[in-house]
Amino acid sequence: MDLVKTDSKNIYYPPGGILLWIIIFLELFTFGMALAAMVVYSKDEPEVFHSSRLLLNTAFGLTNTIFLLASGFFMAKSVESFKANNHIKSSFYLKLTMLGGFLFLLLKSFEYYEKIEAGLSIGYNTFFSFYWMLTLFHVIHVLVGLVILISVYASLQKKKSNLALEDFEASAAFWHMCDLIWLLLFPLIYLIF
Amino acid sequence: MKNHLYFKVLLSLLTLTILAALVVTLDIGLKTASAIILLFFMLKFLGVAFYFMELKTAHVFWKSAVLIFVSIFFGIILIVV
Repeated sequence: MDLVKTDSKNIYYPPGGILLWIIIFLELFTFGMALAAMVVYSKDEPEVFHSSRLLLNTAFGLTNTIFLLASGFFMAKSVESFKANNHIKSSFYLKLTMLGGFLFLLLKSFEYYEKIEAGLSIGYNTFFSFYWMLTLFHVIHVLVGLVILISVYASLQKKKSNLALEDFEASAAFWHMCDLIWLLLFPLIYLIF
Repeated sequence: MKNHLYFKVLLSLLTLTILAALVVTLDIGLKTASAIILLFFMLKFLGVAFYFMELKTAHVFWKSAVLIFVSIFFGIILIVV
């Protein structure tokens, strides 16, 4: 089977492309600074942050981490299959990737519903202001990632697909970025305080 | 080969996630618990970046950039916590 390759050793072409990696770093810095600010604020109100953290459902956060990690695994498999020119397998793994994303959003929606029902809205206290802003901003990324994956999936379904490996890798890198951001959010919001 | 590698990485990531959640239940103090949890998540972050995102095949500049970001981020969090 023919293998499609890109020159990822080139400094100007990291896997996914240089522009996407610039975006990834900007996003990581944005979330990183917001999380650092959250930790600094927690020093002023340690009791509030601790009691608020206990109001979150760690099992939901843990399950969502598992959904995103599994989804990332299937995304990597999908790229691997695409490189091997096996578009059928690639589509199959891509569907599993999207399923992980949809399950994440479903559970997150339920979690949000519970919080709103309990009156724990964005203005409840400092902890919940950070919780809503950071997790909602992440959810927007997941939604955008899913839209990108759906369009990639649609391209793969065409009989004469003109989808380039570079585009596929860029979409995958964006999806993995959602994983990376969640890996920053989960320990700080759900576990540490 | 790669098939098994990705699966091994996924298993390691899931194990670290569950272990991190268990650390919270232990009575070892905030600082120690935070350090352990952050170490686990640092490893997970690098696992996703280097294997799933295939950064291990990239130019050393990108590998170093990710390592520097992770070290600074977790360093700052650990100092403040």
